[in-house]
Amino acid sequence: MTSKREMSLDYTLELQIPFETEGQASIATKVLSPDPILKPQDFQVDYSSEKNIMLVRFRSIDDRVLRVGVSSVIDSIKTIVETIDELS
Amino acid sequence: MVNLNTIPPKNNRDFYIAIGLEGSANKLGVGIVKHPLLPKHANSDLSYDCGAEMLSNIRDTYMTPPGEGFLPRDTARHHRNWCVRLIKQAMAEAGIKDPTLDVDVICFTRGPGMGAPLHSVVIAARTCSLLWDVPLVGVNHCIGHIEMGREITKAQNPVVLYVSGGNTQVIAYSEKRYRIFGETLDIAIGNCLDRFARTLKIPNEPSPGYNIEQLAKKAPHKDSLVELPYTVKGMDLSMSGILASVDLLAKDLFKCNKKNKILFDKKTGEQKVTVEDLCYSLQENLFAMLVEITERAMAHVNSNQVLIVGGVGCNVRLQEMMAQMCKDRANGQIHATDNRFCIDNGVMIAQAGLLEYRMGGIVKDFSETIVTQKFRTDEVYAAWRD
Repeated sequence: MTSKREMSLDYTLELQIPFETEGQASIATKVLSPDPILKPQDFQVDYSSEKNIMLVRFRSIDDRVLRVGVSSVIDSIKTIVETIDELS
Repeated sequence: MVNLNTIPPKNNRDFYIAIGLEGSANKLGVGIVKHPLLPKHANSDLSYDCGAEMLSNIRDTYMTPPGEGFLPRDTARHHRNWCVRLIKQAMAEAGIKDPTLDVDVICFTRGPGMGAPLHSVVIAARTCSLLWDVPLVGVNHCIGHIEMGREITKAQNPVVLYVSGGNTQVIAYSEKRYRIFGETLDIAIGNCLDRFARTLKIPNEPSPGYNIEQLAKKAPHKDSLVELPYTVKGMDLSMSGILASVDLLAKDLFKCNKKNKILFDKKTGEQKVTVEDLCYSLQENLFAMLVEITERAMAHVNSNQVLIVGGVGCNVRLQEMMAQMCKDRANGQIHATDNRFCIDNGVMIAQAGLLEYRMGGIVKDFSETIVTQKFRTDEVYAAWRD
């Protein structure tokens, strides 16, 4: 290996997830934000919320890593939505 | 002396309520514990005698077919599917209507364990914390086992043998920490038994170790043990070699490999050893090793109590062997719990978390709730002990 290949995170996806209230969107953002990404050089996620919409921006080195990462975040969002629906 | 009453219960109640969420392996547990607020806890060393009341203790185990173990991804999916339902059921059982007023703290397992299942449970814990405005406490799984065992058995300062599917440790308390005196150098004892059960293709229900225990009881040749490696290394153990060796024997037995002189008679070719005998010998061998290092730890710290916790702790034969060792020591006592509290559960997380909460230890920022696969028992500062 002579040179370290610089990979850029060109594969992107943005999800907009509508919640019933602004509070719920902000809860979801706070719940998801703290967890570290295992390979930050390959995959990045940004969470933010605007009114009742949660915005999730994914950036990744290829579509395979992107797909795996997105699906795991969606799994977590499903748990959050179910918790909000059933326990509030 | 320790003051367990530093934080008063919410809403002017005279008792504390904690919810515990456990999901570090294939069991998902939700438990609710109630501690009365008692003046005697204000200045004492009574963390083993909180008067805890279990309001609910629900568990759902992810089961795999015989011959298969549980994988992180599938286990995490199981926990996600069941977590909210279990919390709801536990609260209904405990009669909690408004968690914002009725729950003091939500406790969750922060580690050690499998990453994906731990993560799926902490997501629910964080959401509940924000929804209900209830603080969180992250609990070390091993500490959960220890504190639950102490509360149930009222053992004040025992040497703890923690034996489960993922951990094998001999622990004693000293200077605000649970110190590890001996542990496995490779695989855990429960892992060794589970994987042997997989080789034998016996069911995982109710638990592989239990099924091995039942087979071992029926061993026809208990008088002659099959020789297996005995690998105590100082205060530590090694079990992967034992597993490899007993696996090899089982495979020869299934293939009817007559060349194996341990299993078949040299001259007549008659079978000398059955599957049950292998189970029996494996158990005797492993448990003898555990008893040996536990006894040495007891001599080290001058203790005469042993507390067995963890899933393998349900094994009656292990309890028997440990009791025999204790009997030979002056005033030796053995403490063990049944499968409600031995096997991973939510109440143990609630119990340990509530102790931490009563000492003022709550999560101040969600960055403290990041789960971790490696989290050693001695990393925890046991503020609630003297």
